[in-house]
Amino acid sequence: MIAEIGAPLEAQLLGIAIALYLAATAHSVFSTAFRSGCQETAFVLMVAALACHTAAIGSRWGRLSHGPYVDLFEILSSNVWSLHLAAFAVFLVPRLQPALAATLPLLAVLTIWLWFTPAKDTLAPVTYATGWLPIHVALGKIFLGLATPAAGLGLVLLCRKALGASFSSMPDSGSLETDIYRLLLIAVVFQSMMLIAGAAWAQNAWARYWGWDPLESWAFVTWTATLLFLHMRPRSAAGPMLGAFFSILIFCLAFYTFFGAPFLSTAPHKGAI
Amino acid sequence: MTGFLHRALRHLGSAETASASIALCAAVALAGICFPIRTSTWMILPVALVLASLLAALAVDVRLKSQPMLYAFHVALAAFIVVIGLDRLNAMSGRVEVTEGSMFDASTVVVEAGPLHRSRLDEVRFLQGPFEIDYAPGMNRRETVSVIRIPEQGGVWREVRIGDDKPLIFGGYRFYTTHNKGFAPLLTYVSASGATQTGVLHMPSYPANENKQGLAWTPPGSAKTLKIWLHIDEPVFEKDKAWKFVKPVNTRLVVIDGEERHELEAGQSVALGTAQLRYDGLRSWMGYTIAGQDMTRWIAAAGLMACLALLGYVLSTFVNGSKMPAPEAEKGG
Repeated sequence: MIAEIGAPLEAQLLGIAIALYLAATAHSVFSTAFRSGCQETAFVLMVAALACHTAAIGSRWGRLSHGPYVDLFEILSSNVWSLHLAAFAVFLVPRLQPALAATLPLLAVLTIWLWFTPAKDTLAPVTYATGWLPIHVALGKIFLGLATPAAGLGLVLLCRKALGASFSSMPDSGSLETDIYRLLLIAVVFQSMMLIAGAAWAQNAWARYWGWDPLESWAFVTWTATLLFLHMRPRSAAGPMLGAFFSILIFCLAFYTFFGAPFLSTAPHKGAI
Repeated sequence: MTGFLHRALRHLGSAETASASIALCAAVALAGICFPIRTSTWMILPVALVLASLLAALAVDVRLKSQPMLYAFHVALAAFIVVIGLDRLNAMSGRVEVTEGSMFDASTVVVEAGPLHRSRLDEVRFLQGPFEIDYAPGMNRRETVSVIRIPEQGGVWREVRIGDDKPLIFGGYRFYTTHNKGFAPLLTYVSASGATQTGVLHMPSYPANENKQGLAWTPPGSAKTLKIWLHIDEPVFEKDKAWKFVKPVNTRLVVIDGEERHELEAGQSVALGTAQLRYDGLRSWMGYTIAGQDMTRWIAAAGLMACLALLGYVLSTFVNGSKMPAPEAEKGG
């Protein structure tokens, strides 16, 4: 729990940030379901949450002298931060704003998980002392930051098809599918660069650029899923549902790659450290 | 014939074949996670199919040719796959344990190499010096500094310090220190015929096998197997404190010969029937990972080119927003 965090100030800042993130999620969902769909308040809450969270991460970074990428708590924390920031940036586009209500609940899963994850002071392994690591991590965050709003838009399409929900203030399904395509097209660039930077790090750290360990295999599967969507889309007769299906599939695969596969062991890249 | 070839290339280079081969790659990667198969071997066929599909598309796909950046991306991707293939054929990886105070011996390397790799390991010459490893509290291994001495012309030795992330680069090979290291008792065995041999026994990795510092050993020319245990008198570390991996000063060698048990301090000998065994002292050994890869720069260059071309394509689709491709279903509607 948060109370176990070493530095009390960081714990307090993170606690406030988590409360604000969850308040933004609740407000966004509530206003979309029952009111006008206006998302301004949710955006304001997100800005306040991001400010508190940035201070908490910055303080921890300064105190421990390494970035937030060593254990589950740090990886969850930094991704909750980066994904909210990405969602904030993508959904500033006015016509896409109602999809914030479909995206923030995905992030709430991570946020609640973070809330219940014990925070301990960590020591970065020697193999983390390379310039490739922050590049690899940053590229991965941009990729996931683009894949998550795409999954939010995919959920909107799925709700329209399966539940008959209108999301009437949003563009037609064809336009939303094009937005998914655009987001995933940009995402695959960063995803590819993330894999290259990761391979360079692995070459530096463990004398092999690719070893097919579980994390690398899941990252590869996620990349192939993105490529598959980009190849199938021009010839598909499935219409917008293809984009909806793949955006959610890619998000699920990426989610497991980032937060599942690495933590079946005690550290990312099981056995390699 | 030309028409048939063109049709075959169009099928091979179609988005459907590309999709199928990409899906096959994903299936093999998933199988590699779920089952104990060697993913790199099983991946050869689907990747070859991806490459064939790529090359066919580059040759005949008109839509691909009309988009220079997308075309460049596919060229770079094909080059990336080819270079990785060549690298795998030529690459070598190995592991070896080198005793402090001894020269590297290429014959002791456990090698895994591609069929085209031409070993030059016997050209590698270095003397293993002492090494130090820092541990943070909680048994967190930190920096390893291994001192290596390389013979140069004129009888001069050049000293280099290497570690987990600072390899020794020699003859195209990279030697990285690993977590695998331990202690090595130096023994002199005098057989019944008077033949004297001196050598070391590598005890299991330390501190991973802290309580299992023993092994079975059959002396040269003997049919009898001895059990040898290394007893370290003083504690080498406390788990909750920072410590440094160094050789302990006071050690004893326990030799179990059938029903007989002997304890030897450094310099002491024991009679084993008509033979004699002397414990000369303790050394340490360091385990190295060896990577022999010549093409990593080319792989990096092809990968970078692919990423840049893809970025260029994405930017071009946004600049020409009206040309954003739409699915068939949408076009039909």
